[in-house]
Amino acid sequence: MLGRRGVLKFLAGPPFAWLTLFFVLPLVLIAAFSLRAGSGAIGPAESWAPSLEQYSEVLGTPAFVRLLGMSVLMALGIAGLATLFAYPIAYFLTFRAGDRAPLYLTLLLVPFAVSYLLRVMAWKLMLGPEGGINSLLGTLGMTDEPIGLLLYSRPAVIITLVYVWIPFATLPIYAAMQRIDRDHLEAAADLGAGPWSRFWRVTLPLSVPGAAATFFMVFIPTVGEYVTPALVGGTDGIMYGNIIQGFFTRSANWPMGSAMAMIMLVMTLTLVVIGLRIVRPQRLAT
Amino acid sequence: MRARAPAARTFTTLIAAGALMLAACSTPAEPNELLVLEWSGYEAEDFWTDFKASNPETEVTFEFGDTDANILALMQGGSQADIFHFYTGWQQFYVDEGLVQEIDTSQLTNWDKVPDSYKELGQIDGKQYFVPWDWGFTSILYNTEQVDKVTSWDALFNEEYAGHVSMWNDGPGAVAVSAYINGWDETAITDEQLAQIEEDWIAQKPLNAFYWTGEYVDLCPAVQDGTVWVAYAWQGCYATALAAGDPVAYANPEEGRNSWVGLYGISADTESYQLALEFLDMKLAELTCGNAVTLFYYGCANGDVMAAIEDPILIEAFGINDPAILESTNFTPLVTEEQRGAWTAMWERVQAH
Repeated sequence: MLGRRGVLKFLAGPPFAWLTLFFVLPLVLIAAFSLRAGSGAIGPAESWAPSLEQYSEVLGTPAFVRLLGMSVLMALGIAGLATLFAYPIAYFLTFRAGDRAPLYLTLLLVPFAVSYLLRVMAWKLMLGPEGGINSLLGTLGMTDEPIGLLLYSRPAVIITLVYVWIPFATLPIYAAMQRIDRDHLEAAADLGAGPWSRFWRVTLPLSVPGAAATFFMVFIPTVGEYVTPALVGGTDGIMYGNIIQGFFTRSANWPMGSAMAMIMLVMTLTLVVIGLRIVRPQRLAT
Repeated sequence: MRARAPAARTFTTLIAAGALMLAACSTPAEPNELLVLEWSGYEAEDFWTDFKASNPETEVTFEFGDTDANILALMQGGSQADIFHFYTGWQQFYVDEGLVQEIDTSQLTNWDKVPDSYKELGQIDGKQYFVPWDWGFTSILYNTEQVDKVTSWDALFNEEYAGHVSMWNDGPGAVAVSAYINGWDETAITDEQLAQIEEDWIAQKPLNAFYWTGEYVDLCPAVQDGTVWVAYAWQGCYATALAAGDPVAYANPEEGRNSWVGLYGISADTESYQLALEFLDMKLAELTCGNAVTLFYYGCANGDVMAAIEDPILIEAFGINDPAILESTNFTPLVTEEQRGAWTAMWERVQAH
């Protein structure tokens, strides 16, 4: 019979092997490719000598550095907006929906039944010159002609990504709110705290860990996003991830693409660490 | 002796039969399956209908690349594809790196229908490494209600059309356009010229609605819904819009159109060489080539099929009514890996601005 340790090893083994094979190993390969000089795709058996040439090229190209900064700013904005919009939804599900919460939660997750690409394409139609938003503005007499800025622009990327992330973003906040002990709220009420005061001094601090988790869960993948900018961003909404994709596909320059990916990874992780040190969600929750 | 003769003959026959069986056993039969490294959309059965009909039991599967660089990278990375499809300008790389093997054209029953000029595009050092198949033009597709007659490639840089231009997302394509406009030799672009090209395209970037990646995926819908007025485009999108009655025209720039040809190669590592040859032969057959022309508006290397075109839209799209059109056309040249690398990196910098 397996002991406690044996059971843990048995359960952890497959996911550990999976992550090693399909996450850690590819990451190590990308790190290795980024240290190769020159350009072009890399054959599995080819030898190479380590070099920092690619890093020097990326960091020495102002356009790449600027775009990385812009992509980080966009990701911060998108993560902030998604968290802001998801918070009231999670609050409603936890404290107001009552017995219908599971139903509403299911409805919230319905978009996941539709392909990500289709959802983004739907926004392409919505934001287009003859799309829903322009039609509505025209019908209400607010515009004389379609607003071109809506599609193929940076705002289009932000609007679409915020929409895509909101259902995901709701879940960690909802889980954090579920864990709030109702006795705390009752005690606060007994001590004379009004609804606003109870929210501000009890609910909000105790839900911050969930909100912080949501923020970083959205921020991290959004920095490297490339599908949505490619579909709705046009030339104005291009993000850093599009250039990485370009180096891997259009240019077949894997070393440069790998170096750009590693720089993005290091920068994102650094920002997450700094963010967590500033916010310190665990301290707020206690 | 006479009495033994029949026995001896029988013995000899048995030995010969045994030897043949051994030979058959020692030469492994080719697998009855093919993996084709293709561009998305070309997996449609209309594009290989003759082979499907003649080899219904053969399992044909497809792996996809989305750019010439991507397809070369997949082959360099050890793709198991038996056949790969790419476009003019990239031939030399496959030969230099030993990724392709020579085509035995004596086994291609449709080879005599391919014009010599197309055959030559598939030759390196006098050897036939590639089978030409689809071909077409690149030029400026424009909306005749929004844009005056286009006579030059510089229409892509005209600020009057800001927000309604669409360039192909491709560095070598951008370099070619700049070379045409400036009268430079596309195969001998200097560092200074490349720097100038980069500046020009950075300045042009705000004029684009978007850089298109798929002719029928994002370019054509945007041309047809009026978002894009001026575009770097292939004739397929032009024919599609024309057939739909949209107000479009396809320019004959004073610098000349560009023309490209799609080529198929057989992998150096294939275990299905005969089957791959048959697949390529059937690609050139009448029905398959005809489908490429009539269903997808691509030209095909079967000269008989092209000569039989009667549809006025196709005649217009391929410039068949203009016997001089090929004289002013710029065919995509071979360039070096160094040039490709520099041009694609330049394009990524343009996009990042």
